[in-house]
Amino acid sequence: MTDVISTHAVAERRHSKAINRIIGRYWLVATLLVMIAVFAFLKPQLLDNSNIATILRSSALMAIMILGLTWVIAAGKIDVSFMQIAALGNMTTAWLLASGSGWALAATCGVAVGAVAGLLNGTLIAILGIPPLIVTIATGGICASIAAALGKGTSIRIADAGLLGDLLFTNWGPVPVIAVIAALFYLISWYAQEKLTFGHYIFALAQNEKAVNEAGIAARSLLLFLFVFSGICSAIAGVLLAASLSSGQPMIGSSYFIDGLTAVLLGGLMLRIGKPNVLGTTTAVLLLSVLVSGSAMVGWADYQRQIVKGVLLLVGVAVAMQFGHRSSSPIQGA
Amino acid sequence: MPKHGIVPAGTVRFLAFAALVFIIGAAFTAVEPRFLSTQNISAVTRHMAANGLAALGLTLVVIVRKFDLSFAGTACFSAMTIGFMIAGGHDLWLCIMAGVLAAAIVGAFNGIAISYFGLPDIVTTIATGSIAGGLAFLYSQGRTIFRNFVTSGILDLNDARLFGYSASFFFLIALYAVAWVFMHRTRYGASFHATGENPVSAYFSGVPTRTYTMMAFIICAITSVFAVVLILAESGTADTNKGATLLMPAYAGVFLGAALLGGTSVLATLAGTLLITMLLDGFSLLGVPYYYSDGVVSAILLTGVVLFDARVRQLFSDLASFIQPVTSASEKRS
Repeated sequence: MTDVISTHAVAERRHSKAINRIIGRYWLVATLLVMIAVFAFLKPQLLDNSNIATILRSSALMAIMILGLTWVIAAGKIDVSFMQIAALGNMTTAWLLASGSGWALAATCGVAVGAVAGLLNGTLIAILGIPPLIVTIATGGICASIAAALGKGTSIRIADAGLLGDLLFTNWGPVPVIAVIAALFYLISWYAQEKLTFGHYIFALAQNEKAVNEAGIAARSLLLFLFVFSGICSAIAGVLLAASLSSGQPMIGSSYFIDGLTAVLLGGLMLRIGKPNVLGTTTAVLLLSVLVSGSAMVGWADYQRQIVKGVLLLVGVAVAMQFGHRSSSPIQGA
Repeated sequence: MPKHGIVPAGTVRFLAFAALVFIIGAAFTAVEPRFLSTQNISAVTRHMAANGLAALGLTLVVIVRKFDLSFAGTACFSAMTIGFMIAGGHDLWLCIMAGVLAAAIVGAFNGIAISYFGLPDIVTTIATGSIAGGLAFLYSQGRTIFRNFVTSGILDLNDARLFGYSASFFFLIALYAVAWVFMHRTRYGASFHATGENPVSAYFSGVPTRTYTMMAFIICAITSVFAVVLILAESGTADTNKGATLLMPAYAGVFLGAALLGGTSVLATLAGTLLITMLLDGFSLLGVPYYYSDGVVSAILLTGVVLFDARVRQLFSDLASFIQPVTSASEKRS
């Protein structure tokens, strides 16, 4: 029934549809440019080399954290444990460093716990078929608890930020090295998403998991991989944050929760409308970082920024629904 | 999926639940005899009231097969609204009505956006939750409100006793009784279930499914206000994060109850809330650090969902075919 209606509508309004598609595809980039222009007009310091480096550095950390999340949501599932996995990776690294091991071991273990958490998510969701929201709320809670327990409820100081710290704070002109690395990651992911069958399978999973299975694709293994990948990405970001902040912060997760989901979902509203994709996520992450930096300079309070982000997310969803070609939700939730 | 009405399965599940309550109670009493003291039981009933009220509204949202991640933010907003009204010297009932109204507006916004405009539920509620959480700061720029709390009479809500137990517990039981009759013995309740099970056939059977979905979100917002009023009454101050702690226990209560009793229902939520509250209260009595409690609740939620989910699949093979598309499809073909 839906098919009949949608083809009919497409045939009737093909012309206006094309304009709508362009607005739907690129409004986020336009918003980003407008926002940069407005903030740069109000506060020219926004475009200082050091400030650009700060914006790009925080964007890079954020982008690495939610790379896996982008694909999880693109596959029609949800992961609300990513920020707590990052916190766990962060605290594991800090805890190991504090108890005397080297950076290599600590960082590896930090990433490994992320992989384990992702494996737990993936097993429960892909193999046992339990609703992803419930599973990831629960695993997120467990990760947060372990992270807090490692530091007995407070943060752990790291004496030496090591090689990673040097890497994080090395800039090439206004561009931090870590941003280049993150950009490379995204380039590879973009290739995998757009040019390999892998990417098609991800978006196919969101459409019809059963059909993907019937087509002979190991849908469960793919889903399992996506969750493990998301766990690893979050944990890498957590390890980097440990080096960046020179400490392990058990509560670091909560500040990334809204931002991470907002970035992925806003990103899902450009290019491939209603489908989270890596280029969209990159744009949205930059948008949020510029918003944070710019609004801090203009003197907005934290809560005002929170309201703006919420409104941005709502408007974004509404715009995508208005101009997009599909009216069904990007996330099936349960 | 005829989950209701199969008497033997229901009885077994109820007995299993009763045994679980008994075992948990016995285990806590063995470690800490104070668990059975009147003081602690009174505390359990009081905490259960807050958790249970928030979970009740969420139950309705889950029954119409949606998720609401905004009610914690909404509760923060209405807590500050109530605090602001109390500080302004208004009558208590007027203050609570203002809080209910504030939450109902957010709930109605959620409901209209999701049911009438077809926006995805998780994204929309994350956004509105973020906005409501930000709006909570508006009244006092984030400062704690405590003026007039002692004279307003809100503290009496916490201290009121009936038969030695806090009045809020009896309010909880009364509200659950009303909700049970409404949800499981009237055609309106049946319409809620029909909307969740199959919105298309419900719609063509004359159920205004959109209205029911919207009502579920409004009721969810309102019950979270009742919960936060109890929290305000207990603490005697209004903070911007007063409702944030409601999210985890409410989800755990709804889904643990659903796992234990084989389906989301008002009684299942009550059962789940009882278990969760016993555990949380028992651990805090034992002096377990606060940061473990979330992890324990999450772990129990996860185990409960996994264990009982396996049994659900054995008992209802048609549900199994729903969850495991590959095996069922091949079986049907051969």
